[in-house]
Amino acid sequence: MAHDLSRRRLLGSSLFTASFLILGDRLTLSPAEAVELDFTPEVLRRDQLNIIATVAEQLVPGSADAGIAAYLDAQLRAGNDSLLIGKYLGVDVSAQIDFYESLARNLQKALQTEQATSEVLSAMWSDIQENWEGPPASYMLFVLRADALDVTYGTPEGFEALGIPYMAHIMPEKPW
Amino acid sequence: MTESRDVVIVGAGAAGLMLAARLAEGGQSVTVLEAGPARQLSDLVSSQIWARKLKWSEPAVSESGDHKIGHAFNAGSGTGGSALHHYGVWLRMHEGDFSVQSDHGVGRDWPLSYADLAPHYDRVQTEVGLSGDADQERWRPQGAPYPMPPLPLFAQSRVLAKGFEKTGRHTSPLPLAINSEPYEGRRSCQYDGWCDAGCPIGALGNPLVTWLPRARAAGVQLEHNATVSRVIRDARHTQRIESVEYLQAGERKTLRADRIIIAAFAVQSVRILLSSAAAGHVAPGNHSDQLGRYLMTHPAATTFGLFEDETYPHQGVSAGQLLNHDDYDQKDAPGGFGSSQWMIGHAIKPHDLLGYGTGRPDIPGANLKTWLQRAAQHLGNMTLVCEDIALPENRVTLSDRVDSNGIASAHTHHDLAPTAAARWVQRMSEGQEILRAAGAQEVWSSPRIGMHIMGGAVMGDDPATSVTDSFGRVHDTANLYVAGPALFPSSGAVNPTFTLSALASRQADHLLGKL
Ligand SMILES: Cc1cc2nc3c(=O)[nH]c(=O)nc-3n(C[C@H](O)[C@H](O)[C@H](O)COP(=O)(O)OP(=O)(O)OC[C@H]3O[C@@H](n4cnc5c(N)ncnc54)[C@H](O)[C@@H]3O)c2cc1C
Ligand code: SF4
Repeated sequence: MAHDLSRRRLLGSSLFTASFLILGDRLTLSPAEAVELDFTPEVLRRDQLNIIATVAEQLVPGSADAGIAAYLDAQLRAGNDSLLIGKYLGVDVSAQIDFYESLARNLQKALQTEQATSEVLSAMWSDIQENWEGPPASYMLFVLRADALDVTYGTPEGFEALGIPYMAHIMPEKPW
Repeated sequence: MTESRDVVIVGAGAAGLMLAARLAEGGQSVTVLEAGPARQLSDLVSSQIWARKLKWSEPAVSESGDHKIGHAFNAGSGTGGSALHHYGVWLRMHEGDFSVQSDHGVGRDWPLSYADLAPHYDRVQTEVGLSGDADQERWRPQGAPYPMPPLPLFAQSRVLAKGFEKTGRHTSPLPLAINSEPYEGRRSCQYDGWCDAGCPIGALGNPLVTWLPRARAAGVQLEHNATVSRVIRDARHTQRIESVEYLQAGERKTLRADRIIIAAFAVQSVRILLSSAAAGHVAPGNHSDQLGRYLMTHPAATTFGLFEDETYPHQGVSAGQLLNHDDYDQKDAPGGFGSSQWMIGHAIKPHDLLGYGTGRPDIPGANLKTWLQRAAQHLGNMTLVCEDIALPENRVTLSDRVDSNGIASAHTHHDLAPTAAARWVQRMSEGQEILRAAGAQEVWSSPRIGMHIMGGAVMGDDPATSVTDSFGRVHDTANLYVAGPALFPSSGAVNPTFTLSALASRQADHLLGKL
């Protein structure tokens, strides 16, 4: 296996969370590790996840390395057990894949421009981005940003990065 | 179908488990059917992401209207129901909440008064264990003092209290079903702010530590993953409900009982009744087309400030630490209609729906980490809860969609009355002034959300205009009851669990022939 991280280290990780396809092997990994090892997406396409992760990184720096792409792909696979914030906001589980596909499509269109990404994002937040389809751009970005915050700061490591004592009653054995 | 019980209760939440314990202790054979999985304290992992596992997941509820009820956020499932990870704010409704129609010509009256519930509030607060300072709550209706002193105040609440003081307002400790000292063998709070993920140490009086042990000791049978689809009328005595039908592990089962109590939270309780229409019979409680109507949700929002002072907002409890009800009894004060309250100084996390990072999409990515680090030391927040007005058009109906068991899902429609919306706007702007007076350098607010769900099977004396009588008995039946906030004819502006528990206590006494 030509990966940087040895199989033994991956299986021993305290943050393992879901199984991901890595060059045909199914390994139990954290999203950060899955991204580092270039996991094979199973629900969304790689180009869709790439554009989503790029924008998530703009909104919440650190979320790409924390594994936003792998997190979304794994949660979308989980069906009714999905823990994505969209479900909690009332986006029906059956509609979640469509939601992220549509987000990726819209982002791909919107970012095919000479404009700086920050300007495009600001048009999206104001819902004035042209040719946007589906739910309002600001709502879709809000959901993606909340996902990125979950992945980056919703874990004991994320709390530590912000200087917040975690003070768990029961420590999560995996982030989600 | 061989077995028959004295009582079958649908739903193992706040109302269902309380009734189960009380009725079984009174000598009744009781079975509780719960749609969700069995849950234990050890499932209450300290993580906002894990906390989402405790929510209601199927069948999904579709929603419309300008102020949606937020079922996905507000409803839970499994042992303990939504109350398994509720925040433990236990407040009595005020006397005036019971007579809004008579006093103001708005909404609906209750078929009982505060005086009817007062002895039950007193009894339940001792059984569950409440902390607070009744003397400091100058607005509190008459009642026994709390069995425990209030929780200690942390830095955030001390800072926020200054804003109330400077604007001529009063605060009191927030009354909580959280132990400020060991109570009935349960530990006291650790002030770590993990209540939203559920309190696994028993400091917060969720049903797993209050009613469940009593129910089990009294012999209650509890069935999990048992989703009730409908109740079935006796073919000969059509006023009698003979049994409940439920689905468990793909099998359709029925269970007979002398009395059946639907305690499946507001929306699902109505859904079960609506699904129980049968050939020649309208749904129980729907003879006058009242079932599902008067659905309510409190218009609420959180307002935030960043202070020079250190506030350490990770400390304390999710519910908050202080309370303000100064304006509560001025329902028809200029500017809108309805009571309102502030819950002040919530322990809060950086992410998740209610987290401070989530509500500030305007912070550029490059500055986000520094901003979050500052907020983690200097943020203050407090939540406004306003009264909703019961309107007949706000309703639970059956949707065209069916779940994986073939059961029709619920649809809810909820619009906010313009006068209630105006009151919310008015109080939110006052909230921002209070934060500035407390020294906030930057102030912002969350959007308006629907908090708590009430109504849908409202109580009343007249069967033409209500679904149940004052004991929750469905008017056109002899032995079918509803329990929980579905019964509320008005919402007040207080969190509903203390009141629904007092109502369930009164129902239990009635069912045991004590009333
Ligand atoms: C995050 C959060 C914080 C809250 N904080 C507070 C607070 O501080 N103070 C307060 O007063 N209230 C609070 N609440 C509200 C409180 O939890 C509810 O008002 C209360 O739990 C309602 O009690 P219930 O018994 O009617 O319903 P629940 O406690 O929700 O129990 C209903 C049960 O019925 C089951 N059920 C549903 N349908 C079926 C079916 N078809 N068959 C079998 N079983 C079924 C459900 O799975 C559930 O377990 C909070 C709620 C949430 C979500
Ligand atoms: S803060 Fe207190 S009530 Fe909340 S989870 Fe921790 S111990 Fe329980």
